[in-house]
Amino acid sequence: MRLEGVRRVFDDRIVLSNFHLSISPGEFLAILGPSGCGKSTLLRMIARLAPPDAGSIAFTPSENFQTAFVFQDAHLLPWRTVLENAALPLELTGVAREQRRQKARKALEQVNLAEALALYPAQLSGGMRMRVSLARALVTGPRLLLLDEPFAALDELTRFHLDVQLRRLWQASGMTVIFVTHSISEAAFLAERAVVLARREGRIKLDRRLELPGERTNELRGDARFAEESKLLLDQMEEQ
Amino acid sequence: MQRRSFLRVAAAAALLPACRRSSKLKLALNWKPDPQFGGFYAAPYARHGLDVEILPGGAGTPTVQMIGAGSAEFGIVSADELVLARARGNRAVALFAVFQNCPQGIMVHASRRLTSIGDVVKEGTLAIQRGLPYARLLEKRYGFAHVRVVPSPGGDITAFLHDEKFAQQCFIMSEPLEARRKGVEVTVFPVSDLGYNPYTTVLATSEDYLRNHADTAKRMTDAVREGWRTYLDHPQPTNEKMHQLNPSMDLSTFAEVAEAQKPFIEAAQLGAMTEQRWQTLIQQLRDLGDLTGPIRASDCFRNLS
Amino acid sequence: MKLAKTLVPPLIPLAVLTLAFELIVRQGLIPAYLLPAPSSVFKAMFEVGDQLWRAMLETSGAALIGFFMSAIGGIASAVLLSSSRWIQRAFYPYAVFFQTVPIIAIAPLLVIWFGYGMRTVIASAFVVSIFPVIANTLTGLLSTDPALVDLFRLYGASSAVTLFKLRFPAALPQILTGLRVSAGLAVIGAIVGEFIGGGGLGSVVDVARTQQRVDIVFAAVLLASLLGLALFSAIGLVSRLTLRRWHASEQTP
Repeated sequence: MRLEGVRRVFDDRIVLSNFHLSISPGEFLAILGPSGCGKSTLLRMIARLAPPDAGSIAFTPSENFQTAFVFQDAHLLPWRTVLENAALPLELTGVAREQRRQKARKALEQVNLAEALALYPAQLSGGMRMRVSLARALVTGPRLLLLDEPFAALDELTRFHLDVQLRRLWQASGMTVIFVTHSISEAAFLAERAVVLARREGRIKLDRRLELPGERTNELRGDARFAEESKLLLDQMEEQ
Repeated sequence: MQRRSFLRVAAAAALLPACRRSSKLKLALNWKPDPQFGGFYAAPYARHGLDVEILPGGAGTPTVQMIGAGSAEFGIVSADELVLARARGNRAVALFAVFQNCPQGIMVHASRRLTSIGDVVKEGTLAIQRGLPYARLLEKRYGFAHVRVVPSPGGDITAFLHDEKFAQQCFIMSEPLEARRKGVEVTVFPVSDLGYNPYTTVLATSEDYLRNHADTAKRMTDAVREGWRTYLDHPQPTNEKMHQLNPSMDLSTFAEVAEAQKPFIEAAQLGAMTEQRWQTLIQQLRDLGDLTGPIRASDCFRNLS
Repeated sequence: MKLAKTLVPPLIPLAVLTLAFELIVRQGLIPAYLLPAPSSVFKAMFEVGDQLWRAMLETSGAALIGFFMSAIGGIASAVLLSSSRWIQRAFYPYAVFFQTVPIIAIAPLLVIWFGYGMRTVIASAFVVSIFPVIANTLTGLLSTDPALVDLFRLYGASSAVTLFKLRFPAALPQILTGLRVSAGLAVIGAIVGEFIGGGGLGSVVDVARTQQRVDIVFAAVLLASLLGLALFSAIGLVSRLTLRRWHASEQTP
């Protein structure tokens, strides 16, 4: 995927100006930046939910493929069960009932929610709801997975667990993941490549391949290399 | 020290408007200002030392209850309404009867060629206030089996004009004239054809008020009597005053109605009432089953002066 | 036991009030022709029981039909209004008109258009009760979670699918609120329609008032209130059944 000369203006504020970025398939990319720097806007444009005012976003190969999106809040349909929520994308794309229930069940197993199938969102904790949202994103086997600060509202321990789970899911599927976050340690833990955006106009301050091992466990968080990479990212973030 | 004098001033200030309110007498009408109240608007209250505020009414204004509750010192009621009220413990008393003969009736399209009041219930629609004594008398005597009874539109003759088989309760000198003006000839059957003829548009007050303010009541009656004499002889200036308050009726209609109502009002002594008439009314209401307790005709009215 | 928990508390102030009013009228503190004693109201109910029952059925029928028309018409109108900004701007002010027009003033017009009888009463109930349905449904449809709307777009859902699978179910709590308000108003509208057009409890009140039978007036008014309460509770039941599993308003505290 390649973004070239992308520009987006809201009212009279230039959110992104002359933005270039290339992303390879199967990559895990983290996008970091202060609030209002345009990272959510960027993500929505990649998802083709909003068009750029100028420039282009091109995909190769260019045939239609499924993109999945995980929002900051789980945004589940409260009147449907966990299973029905996870199956929603398949329902919207016209998959038959039995088939989509099976796939949804599998996706929910992947996020360890096999026992919660008949529950309603009101009966779940925040972390469980986010996992349903994840399962929902995975259920169509998407080629591109976009996440916009998905774990920001959760407690740290749940966050760590979900980070590990997400990486495992990515490794198992080979999909391209773009993960927007505020958290430097999360970006460092999850991604292979991190992009730091400036406060204004989405200027790229840093685009770096992280020098961290492929297998990531929570122990890594105590590692010296982790601290180094985190410091690098922090420096870029602080200079705003 | 300061708080006490403040309270005293506050109490005096609170009482002031009440003082002013009690000197102004309220006369509650049971309809909008129209010729049936002409004499009340023409009356020389000031000359009799009275400060009177006339409260126009409309559909369903509960004048007899207002007198009973004291929210108006005087009110306009009909004689049968007063008798029924007294039977329920509301001690209202009649002072002056404007209409010596009841001006209510039922109007029908002349083209139907009906000859008696009993004919109005043979077919078609009858718009009437079903709870009124004369309506119940009509029902008792002739039955409503063949006519569709609907609520009275209260002075609005639109439905009447558009439907030949529509009959409507009316004031004899009011709605029929309007119908004729709109091009429909009408036949009117007075309610007195049923032998039912209560005093109508009666000035009344409560027994309590009469006992405590006998002099004021007498002066009020005198002023009203003079007012009616004036209005009968020269209705024009008062009509203009009333038209300001009720623009829905134009001046020529005011004049026409004022003229047409004269025969119902003229009498040797305007507004006077007899015990005989009240007794007849009481008996009729008792026959209808409306009266449960004893009522004395002489209690219902006073001829002051 | 749970039923007792909901029924007993409101009955206590009612019992106290009834007793108080009975004593006040019996002692002559307020004359009976202004405020009838509760005992006389009950006696009146038995005295004209048949008439009251028939009248109640008539009013209920008209109110229910008017209410269902409002529910269907109101929801349909709101769906239409929600589909485009232009349609909203062009037509919403007319919906507001239903709210602001005084029913007492247009009831005689309704009689001219629909004649005396049930049709006018239903029309009156409809006019009075439709606006809350439109307003609440529209608000509900327009305040759908934008993230969920995005999600539906992401998977290529058409506006119709988004309307039926997302907007409508999400708006259900709001729609039920509108229906709750509308139910009570439908009863009021029916009674006003009956004052002018005849029939039902409105006519009983009108006739009894002319006869100065305040006890019958109160009896009829009491029945009208019970009718409104019954409709209101019915909607509440529907609300509980449909929202039970997922909406905060129906979760047990």
